[in-house]
Amino acid sequence: MTKEKTIQITIDNKTIDARPNQTILQAAREYQIYIPSLCAMEHLSSYGACRLCVVEVDGLRGFPTSCTTPVEEGMVIRTDTAEVKGLRQEVLKLLLSEHPASCLFCTEQDECKQYMGTIRKVGATTGCRYCPNDHRCELQQIAENIGLTETSYPVYYRNFPVEKYDPFYDRDYNLCILCGRCVRVCNNVRLNGTLSFKQRGRVTTIGPAFDRSHIDAGCEFCGACVTACPTGALSVKVSKWYGRPEGQVATTCNYCSAGCRLILQTTKTDVIDALPDYDSAVEHGIICVKGRFGITEYVHSPLRYGTPKEMTPAGYNDISWEEAIAKAAGKLSGLKPDDCLIVVSPQLLTEDLFVAQQFIRQVTGSEEVASSFIFDLDGDAASFINLALASEPFETIEKAQGILAVGFDSTYGYSPIGVKAKQAAQAGASLMSLNSFESNLDLLSKIAFVVNSSRWADVLDLTMSRMSKGKAEKRFADLVEMWGSDLNKTCETFSCSSHNVLIVGPGIIDSPDRGKILRSIERMKNEYSWKVVVAHQYTNLAGMFAMGACPGIKPGEMIKEASADKAVVLKAELIHIDLRKKRKLIYLIGDASFDSLPECEFLIYQNALPPQCSRQPDLILPVSLFTEASGTVISAEGRVLQVKEAVAPYMDSKPDWWILKSIAEKMGKGKMKFNDVSSIQGEIKKIIKGFPAVKKRIEFKEIEVKGNVKTHGKGKPAAWKSSYRGIPLGEVVSGIKVIELKGG
Amino acid sequence: MYRDAILKKFDPRLDNILFILHELQDNNPQHYLANADIEKCADYLNIPYSYVHGVVTFYSMFSLKPRGRYIIRLCDSPPCHLMGSESLLDYLKKKLKVDVGKTTADGVFTLEITSCLGICGVAPALMMNEEMIGNLTPERVDTVLEERRQTS
Amino acid sequence: MNIVRNHVLISIDAGTLMSGARAVEDALVKEIVKQGLDKEVSVLETGSIGITGRGVILVVYPEGIYYADVTPDDVPELVEEHLLKGRPLTRLILTETPKRTIITKEKTGLLKEQPRIVLKNCGFIDPENIDEYIAAGGYEGIAKVLQTMTSEDVVAEIKSSGLLGRGGAGFPTGMKWDFAIKTPGDEKFVICNADEGEPGTFKDRLILEGDPHKLIEGMLIAGYAIHGTRGFVYIRGEYSLSIERIEKAILDARAYGLLGKNILESNFSFDIVVMKGAGAYVCGEETALIESLEGKRGHPRNKPPFPINAGLWGKPTLVNNVETLANISEIIRNGAEWYKGYGTEKCSGTKVFTILGHVATPGLVETEMGTTLKDIIFEYGGGIKNGKTFKGALVGGAAGAFLGPDMLNVKMDFVNLKEYSAALGSGAILVMNEDTDMVDMLKSVLHFFKHESCGHCVPCRLGTARLVELIDDIAASKAKKEDIDQLLEITRVMKDSSFCPLGQSVTLPVSSALKYFKNEFMSRVTS
Repeated sequence: MTKEKTIQITIDNKTIDARPNQTILQAAREYQIYIPSLCAMEHLSSYGACRLCVVEVDGLRGFPTSCTTPVEEGMVIRTDTAEVKGLRQEVLKLLLSEHPASCLFCTEQDECKQYMGTIRKVGATTGCRYCPNDHRCELQQIAENIGLTETSYPVYYRNFPVEKYDPFYDRDYNLCILCGRCVRVCNNVRLNGTLSFKQRGRVTTIGPAFDRSHIDAGCEFCGACVTACPTGALSVKVSKWYGRPEGQVATTCNYCSAGCRLILQTTKTDVIDALPDYDSAVEHGIICVKGRFGITEYVHSPLRYGTPKEMTPAGYNDISWEEAIAKAAGKLSGLKPDDCLIVVSPQLLTEDLFVAQQFIRQVTGSEEVASSFIFDLDGDAASFINLALASEPFETIEKAQGILAVGFDSTYGYSPIGVKAKQAAQAGASLMSLNSFESNLDLLSKIAFVVNSSRWADVLDLTMSRMSKGKAEKRFADLVEMWGSDLNKTCETFSCSSHNVLIVGPGIIDSPDRGKILRSIERMKNEYSWKVVVAHQYTNLAGMFAMGACPGIKPGEMIKEASADKAVVLKAELIHIDLRKKRKLIYLIGDASFDSLPECEFLIYQNALPPQCSRQPDLILPVSLFTEASGTVISAEGRVLQVKEAVAPYMDSKPDWWILKSIAEKMGKGKMKFNDVSSIQGEIKKIIKGFPAVKKRIEFKEIEVKGNVKTHGKGKPAAWKSSYRGIPLGEVVSGIKVIELKGG
Repeated sequence: MYRDAILKKFDPRLDNILFILHELQDNNPQHYLANADIEKCADYLNIPYSYVHGVVTFYSMFSLKPRGRYIIRLCDSPPCHLMGSESLLDYLKKKLKVDVGKTTADGVFTLEITSCLGICGVAPALMMNEEMIGNLTPERVDTVLEERRQTS
Repeated sequence: MNIVRNHVLISIDAGTLMSGARAVEDALVKEIVKQGLDKEVSVLETGSIGITGRGVILVVYPEGIYYADVTPDDVPELVEEHLLKGRPLTRLILTETPKRTIITKEKTGLLKEQPRIVLKNCGFIDPENIDEYIAAGGYEGIAKVLQTMTSEDVVAEIKSSGLLGRGGAGFPTGMKWDFAIKTPGDEKFVICNADEGEPGTFKDRLILEGDPHKLIEGMLIAGYAIHGTRGFVYIRGEYSLSIERIEKAILDARAYGLLGKNILESNFSFDIVVMKGAGAYVCGEETALIESLEGKRGHPRNKPPFPINAGLWGKPTLVNNVETLANISEIIRNGAEWYKGYGTEKCSGTKVFTILGHVATPGLVETEMGTTLKDIIFEYGGGIKNGKTFKGALVGGAAGAFLGPDMLNVKMDFVNLKEYSAALGSGAILVMNEDTDMVDMLKSVLHFFKHESCGHCVPCRLGTARLVELIDDIAASKAKKEDIDQLLEITRVMKDSSFCPLGQSVTLPVSSALKYFKNEFMSRVTS
């Protein structure tokens, strides 16, 4: 690596090393030299609107703003002269002339502080109007730092109605200071374009076109604007009622396979907000609505199980863990492998999956490690897994010259992939979108095919045929007519490009024709050298296969070692799970897909929230969720990512692995002597070197299926639309229900 | 579908947006940019609606409200102000019985104020649609309004 | 070929059009035919003659007689009397002409001869006829450049001429070009800033309407000098006639091979397109103009980078004002030394001023840099209307400064005015008589700024709002003495902290108004 050139500058008599292209503010921040600023934000372009970061620079006239002035060798900067301080005070006074400022200048401010962390409604305590951002507000911090204790102007209240009609967050533009951070993040970082400045001058406001609601304006509710807002103008509906956060924990989102990092903001007992981390190497802070707004309501749902429960004729009875473990152990004892079906969710943590497969194999003696993944994909599980586990990293999209997105839409999920595709398209890549509905990529697409999924394979075949200048077959006639010359042009760029990326979205899983589509995708990959990026909602699918939490595959068998680069041979009958055969016992570990399951005499349900079906579980084992547990997930990119306990487990709930090993212990079966997560990780370390601190992406072998896979015969796959542990997010998170209704 | 015909005259490039918006507004029977105009423009240029809306509202020549057949844009910049545009504005308001930004009940006139029109030699002045009218006095305003009213 | 006995020039500009110039022209042509004079008399359209507020203006050559306020009803009499019988129609003759601009070159008036550089052709040629421009020596400049000069020569010549940018800031044009030529880039642009919005200014409009080819030639030379590839004329949307004229001129120039590929069979290729604004004063600021040209909201950009390094679409871009560019061909044709013969030592050349307000003859005048305010008002503007006395003038537009009677002898140029905390700006001179309420005038200026602030930065967006509240209170005698101090304090903060020149310049009118007319403000407030 070449050493980066540095530039020496002097700030307040302190000489520091800055990098070329840095602004004075950026350099100062790196050295913890405080310069107040409201409109500058890391990862956003310089804007220069708030004018609070003015400084003095030798040789430059007046008071340049440090957020817009690039550093130059030998620059001498002063950030705290009397003139600079005075100017900042005056600018701040002007800024506050249209921002309610009772939280800053009230004489009863100190008394008020006792009530911090609560919302103060009109008339309560000292009688203020409330600000949802009180004590988290950057404006407050800056006023304090600048030392402003009074203002020269009467506050002009703009009297905008507070906008509360959209899900997830409220907007009170009376508190807006027009720093433009939300507009910039929406347009330049998220490439969404919901927000814009409207009007000009003093009457400037922010919002979507035509004063539409955000939901009607195509907002993706990624919440980047709320995170960016330095004041209380934008506030999260759920978390604003929790008051100030007391701590924060960086963890990995468990809602899909992307593996985005979340900064969970917590109080002692609750997760109150989930923020993006723009420094994360995975998604660079580009998280979706599910991670941003879908956590708090899910993990703190009033429906959560706090204690084990047993079904009695009079309804559910709370029982102790001792009783519950004994009950489960009793029911499992003496069963033949065929008598029970244990279903494991691909959304468990790697450690839980490792324990789960051991449990199934050692306790029941069965090889039938079932999962909703296998039910969903039915006979196509192997081809999908081969595609998914070989998925290229997201950054492959960045330099793509041609992109084809099939069954992919990143409005309410898979944002890191969607935004990368949009970025590439803006930089000139030819983007083609293929979906059964209008996707959020359409605006930047050269071609947007909106056709039923039964035609997707045709479109892919047509693309390949055009790329190799083949003659158009009859079956393509209508498609050709639809797009004519555009199609030729786009395929031309595809065939000229050596870097084409095919983004495979979850849409193909729901398609009845996924077999055909998958075969076309395989051809594009193998014969036309398309790189494939797969987006799916099976959070820890890679972990599941790495841990062998699937039929016929041993732990570690799938992991590609430097020496053995062979495929894993799998007998077809192993993947076949008979869903017609009645069982004595079904044990659902983190899954709730009853409707595709056979009848059973006894149902053990190990989960956090009640299932969405008619069959009542006989035994309920309450689980602590990923915000309350530690471990890892292996993302679609093959990264081993840490999940960290942010708050204590809810009531009496326990991690999945603990429940499983306790039952095994009770039954006296298996060798699961685990006391904590790290002891499990010690076992996994034998399969994956250095686990869990694995820097390298894990690579997988292919599966080669011997024989024909029978379908399990239960018809269509369970609806997987944004669900976590078998529970649709929309059933638990009110806002997600709203946006999914709109999308559907 | 006159809108499509207008769009076709321009390459779908962002730098044509002001031209496109001018033409769409000029051809709108109510001299304004309807939601449909903005949406058409955005779709044609492949940009978000909010973007076009933001551009439209930045420039004072564009209107999001339907306007009358004649748009009176009275200059209120210092040169016209010095020559009495303020009292003329009062006169116009009284005469037309509308406030600034509003359209007369018969839909003939919309009263607006504008910054300097660059015809200060004949201050106070106004722009009536594309036409400049200067050396205004209440009498001249009367004549001008009467003429327009008769032709409409 | 016919020998034409008389030429009748009819001034067609936005001002005369509104007075019915077309109707007069039609009547004139018909009447001439009717009298059988169409072989002997030709009617020619020309741009503004520099006289405003006097209706339709005609000039009859070779006599050089000016008629004003001509209506179609006057035409039969005028044709019969002057063109048929050779007797000038005295009742319509514009009597105050001798002291006005162009005319002084032909007749020796009280002042020395006024040079016409920028407005040389305005009012003499038909702006819609490229041949007339060429006949008047047009496009000789670009021919000379292409045949005998390197780009560096051109830049050196402009530098040596001492030409300062006429947009308002007075930045040395040659230096700007020098930066541009030194900036590497495969594509470079020349933008003509014709977004004339400074209140009281319409010089650019008259150039665009009266001599559009001069601007094209200026842009061509600029393009050649900086290795530019394309030019853009950004005109405010309200200037429909200007847009029409320049578009026609571009088409004609293209047809003559003066625009496009391999101009005049050289290796130089350059073309120009017209872009239309939509009503935003701030777009007169060069970076806001570029944003607008790119199709965005007209917020100004951060500087650095300056447009000369990264302007339109991130490419090196030279932005010059209309009047600046209109000087170029003359400098090239006549040489820098000739140009420096006009004006003052530090500010060479001429300046086009617009004289407005309470003067006898409002209009525009091109005069040497350094002419005194008094001469401009009293000699060219005909003094104060209706025998009133001079009270003050707002010089340089809204972003300019108020000057009091003791400033009448100030020499009008960029450098000198700066010494008096004033600015030449766009060259607008709004004259106010003894009856003027200066508080009310400042109020109008501040309302203008509030309306035109783009809202990007805090000091300007909220500063203008607070200033308007304060001045409204002062004007309504509801304010306290401290409010005047606050007025000054806000403008000081705006000057030191605003993003762009719009907010920075509000201090000029406010502090100058309070400097020269403080008593008037004090009499409105309670202590």
